[in-house]
Order: sequence, then C-alpha cells, then structure tokens
Amino acid sequence: MAFKFLVNNYQDRVFNTAIGIVQNAEDAEDVAQEVFIQVFRSVQSFKAESKLSTWIYRITTTRALDHLRSRKSKKRFGFLQRLFGEGNEPIYELPDFHHPGVTLDRKENAALLFKAIDKLPEKQKIAFTLNKLEDLSYVEVSDVMQVSVPAVESLMHRAKQNLRKMLEKETT
Amino acid sequence: MDNNRNKKIEDILGSLDTNQRAPAPDFFYTRLKARMEGKYEKETTKKWLLRPAYALAALLLVLAINVVVILKGEESSGNNSSDTETVQSIAAEYSLNNSLTYEINDEK
Repeated sequence: MAFKFLVNNYQDRVFNTAIGIVQNAEDAEDVAQEVFIQVFRSVQSFKAESKLSTWIYRITTTRALDHLRSRKSKKRFGFLQRLFGEGNEPIYELPDFHHPGVTLDRKENAALLFKAIDKLPEKQKIAFTLNKLEDLSYVEVSDVMQVSVPAVESLMHRAKQNLRKMLEKETT
Repeated sequence: MDNNRNKKIEDILGSLDTNQRAPAPDFFYTRLKARMEGKYEKETTKKWLLRPAYALAALLLVLAINVVVILKGEESSGNNSSDTETVQSIAAEYSLNNSLTYEINDEK
C-alpha cells in the first residue's frame, strides 16, 4: 500500500523527467518502471540525507541517461546486435518529439528545442531538463546532481549558449 | 533580419516556459506491478539458443564434422587389405572357419 501511494505521488514527476531526456513515450515508461523497481529494492538503503524527491529524481536522471547510452550503442553496433538476436527492431532516426504538455501554439518551437536539447552534453541536458521541465530551482537541481549551485548556474549558462548556436543553424 | 532571428531563437528557448507535466500513462501502476511480479515474458534458455549467431555456429560445426569424417574415410579406404587380414586372424583364433562346419555335416 505504501509503495502504491509512493508510485501514485511520484509517477508523473518521474515520467515527465524521463520523457524530457529520452524523448519517446514508450522508452520513458520503461525508464519510469525501472526507477520504481530500483526504489522498491533499495528504499531501505535510503538514509534520508536528502529529500525523497531528490533521491527519486537522481535515480530517474541516471536511468534515463543509461537508456540513452544503450540506444546510442545499439545504433553503433546495430549489425552485431542483430546477429546476436538483440536489436531486431529497425534502427531509424526518431521523428520529431512532441512533448504532451506543450501548448498547441508552441508545439513547433518546442519540437525544435527538444531536437537541440538531445544534442547537449549529458550534464547540461540534465540541468536544463530539471529546471525547464520540472521547474526545479537551481538549489534543487544542485541537490539532485550533487554539485554546487554555481556549478548548476554554469551548466545552465553553457546549455543555453549551446542551444542558441544549434538553433541559429536550424533557423537559417 | 538579425533581430527577427534572435527573437525567433528566444521564442524557441522559451517554448517550454508554460508547459505542463506529461502525465504517466494510464494503468502505469498495474503494468509496473505486473513487471515486478515477473509476468512479463522472460527469455528462456531455449530461445537464447535460437539466436542467429549460435545457429550459424552450430551449422558450421556440423559441416566441419562432416568434412573431417569424409576426409578420414578417404584415408582409410587405402587400408582395406590390412583390415581383412585382421578379421581372418581373429576368426582363426576363435575357430570360426567355415570348414569346421562342413566336417560336422560330413560325419552325419
């Protein structure tokens, strides 16, 4: 019962964070399930040094990044993967990602932004996603990422710089 | 033009400012519970063996064995006379010659 309560309370936060990073609803659900399975298995080792939400966000971002890395290695070694019976799904570029929570008038712009976010380095991607999609403050982001607040400010600054550069190329 | 482009870029950067959270899919908890209870199909040992790489390896092994057997067969076809001699010596040792049988019949 307690676990069901926890899942109900956090499932939207976990799913929303995951979908912002993996940019695919099916993958995001997979990631979200893995997060709660890990939470279930390791809740006893949670020492309450941070808030429960911080801990869950941290697991979510870690799992989502693992998923991205696995997807990239499948692309790279697609032939070998198919020979060994894995990766039988066709390997193709994902279509433009449309986040379900974006208002209609901003959908096109948001799709361009997500395309650019996908190309950010991992830490910048995490910081930007947590701040923009989950509305976490820089202090909360620093707790999740276990870095200082100035480090988060620097990550956000560089993320925005990189995004601007990429969007300049897209909008020519 | 530059101003327009800058404005467009700022609009794009701000496109997530008013977004709402994407909710978890319906029945998320039900599917999670099912996965945790192991109701999702897991790969069995038999399926693992059917992977293309292992099937290919097994086929090559069978072909290799066939080639070895055929080659060994060609080698031993030149040794037929020594085999016949071996069989005859064994037959003599155990008195299995046909002539003995005929002698018994004659006596009758």
